[in-house]
Amino acid sequence: MTNFLDLRIDDFGFRTDIPTRWGDNDMLGHLNNVVYNRMIETVVVRFTMGPLEIDWQRDQSYPLVVESLCRFHRPLAFPETITAGLRAGRLGGTSVTYEIALFGEGNEIPASTGHFVHVFIDKDTHKSIQIPADIRKLIETFA
Amino acid sequence: MPPSNIQTRDDYRYFLELQTRWMDNDLYGHINNVTYYSYFDTVVNYFLIEKGGLDIHNAKTIGVVVESHCNYAHSIAYPDKISCGLRVGKLGNSSVRYEVGIFRGEEQNAAASGHFVHVFVERATNKPVPIPKDIRDALHDIQT
Repeated sequence: MTNFLDLRIDDFGFRTDIPTRWGDNDMLGHLNNVVYNRMIETVVVRFTMGPLEIDWQRDQSYPLVVESLCRFHRPLAFPETITAGLRAGRLGGTSVTYEIALFGEGNEIPASTGHFVHVFIDKDTHKSIQIPADIRKLIETFA
Repeated sequence: MPPSNIQTRDDYRYFLELQTRWMDNDLYGHINNVTYYSYFDTVVNYFLIEKGGLDIHNAKTIGVVVESHCNYAHSIAYPDKISCGLRVGKLGNSSVRYEVGIFRGEEQNAAASGHFVHVFVERATNKPVPIPKDIRDALHDIQT
């Protein structure tokens, strides 16, 4: 079993920086738990729009989240900028699991780890479909 | 998702009704996935305040989230009204696993379900402490 605290930013092929905002902190003085999930969503969406070149308005299929998980290891707080890392985990016929970690400024140990599962949906039938071959090939390079 | 994973209203012990808001919808025209975690966070804290007497401003002991998880079964969209169902799955010495189901309108099957784990810590030191008695009693009442 993976010890999540052993993960480092170098373990993730896709990385993006996400600034925090004053309003992201809650009354306990650190980022509200929901904001971590928002950052996980942000790195996934940037990955799909960047390396995967997905344009959900143009493409015949679009990714839909069916499951997400977040573990909270240590607090993050405004005003630090968060570095999010993503790699592809389980790749099924119609779904992909992204593995994600969030790192605080100047700390190599992840503050948060989790996953996010996308199912590919056909725009007309609204049913799940096989992940398009070109997208699958791109995902595999981030495994 | 296999039918065995579908949660129904009977599976929960406490409910909070909420009105979805315009900003909860995303570009897909339904409630954004992250917003469900805000519903989780809201029902859990409302329960602790209403039934456990939690004083969020002055309490010496607070709950911090160590894990959250959600399965999305079908969509909800503004202006739907929702019910947030809550039960306690596991009650430890300093930690509690809440299980939450989000229901659209009067529907019996949850649109989304997941869990949320709190560890209670001393606010000043951030060290885990036993769950305060009033809160533990309230959590015990909705344990399944």
